[in-house]
Amino acid sequence: MAALQVSVISPEQVLYEGTASSVTAPAFDGEMGILPMHAPLMTLLGTGTLQVQANDGLKRFRVSGGFLQVVDDTVRVVTEEASAIA
Amino acid sequence: MAKGRELKGRIKSVENTRKITRTMEMVAASKMKRATDRVASARPYALALGDVLARLVRPEIAERFPLLRQPTATKRVALVLLTANRGLCGAFNTNLIREARARIAELEGQGASVELHIVGKKGVAFFKYLGRTITNERIDIGDRPSAADAASIIDGLTDRFAKGELDAVHITYAKFKSALSTPPSTEQVVPVVPPASQGAPRDFLLAPNADVIVEALLPAYVRNLVYRALVETAAGEQSARRTAMKNATDNASDMLTLLKRTYNSARQAQITQEIAEIVGGAAALQG
Repeated sequence: MAALQVSVISPEQVLYEGTASSVTAPAFDGEMGILPMHAPLMTLLGTGTLQVQANDGLKRFRVSGGFLQVVDDTVRVVTEEASAIA
Repeated sequence: MAKGRELKGRIKSVENTRKITRTMEMVAASKMKRATDRVASARPYALALGDVLARLVRPEIAERFPLLRQPTATKRVALVLLTANRGLCGAFNTNLIREARARIAELEGQGASVELHIVGKKGVAFFKYLGRTITNERIDIGDRPSAADAASIIDGLTDRFAKGELDAVHITYAKFKSALSTPPSTEQVVPVVPPASQGAPRDFLLAPNADVIVEALLPAYVRNLVYRALVETAAGEQSARRTAMKNATDNASDMLTLLKRTYNSARQAQITQEIAEIVGGAAALQG
């Protein structure tokens, strides 16, 4: 099965980089789910919890502002504020 | 043995100085390591943001966004100068200040009025000494600047630019090319010069739409420019200090070798003289 290449980037550091089977992001107008084979997409992010379904479990991040970009199964979450939720 | 004692005192004092400079060198080296890590980890964000803006910004939409507007005449300019809070880092601050002064002279030569926004005690102190008005001074930003620090410096300026109270904002900082090369440089922050697009254009689903995305991302891009300038300057300061302290340590070592040699020859000369006196005294008694 195709997988997503996900990176979560804040101004200060790269918080996560790896493969995932799905991503759920807080877009500006509500939650948005990304699965493999998604069409190229660019959307603004709101404030909320970003969930990355990685191979070794669910990773959760608190994000605020920024954008999400999907191209060829590569998901880039670029956000102004991000912190991992344990 | 007056000369000998004097030399001994100097040796002691140079040794102490060398201890201090060597410690500072090591502290700066470890701080530099962490600062360069921060420079490196700030890069992906800047690249991602630049990439997206390059894809979305077209010249025809430029006049709709205040931050992209190119003023017809540049009359009022704000110059943000980043310097260190501390000295003992060679010509680091001097170079930055010189670059800023050259920029001010250039802009004023073109008939613009320049207001100064200075970060770092060294820059503030210098321009106070010159008697220039400093519009805004910040000495609270330390070795580890954060994105929030960048926002607090630039947000007020971008607002004023958007309102038309300023025609341009420039920033003078130390560009961190490598540990040995941190040349002072000046860049234009606003109006934003969008990065050149690279890679084939793609059709994206845009939510909500290009205009809104660009509008939201431009301030982030500007803040990131400033954040990068801050971390690069912080890294440059540490690398400059490491180099300066390494030189000082080396000089102290050279001086010590010389002093010790002088001390030893003075000591030997004195012993020789004492022996000569004893031998002379004994010979006089025998005679």
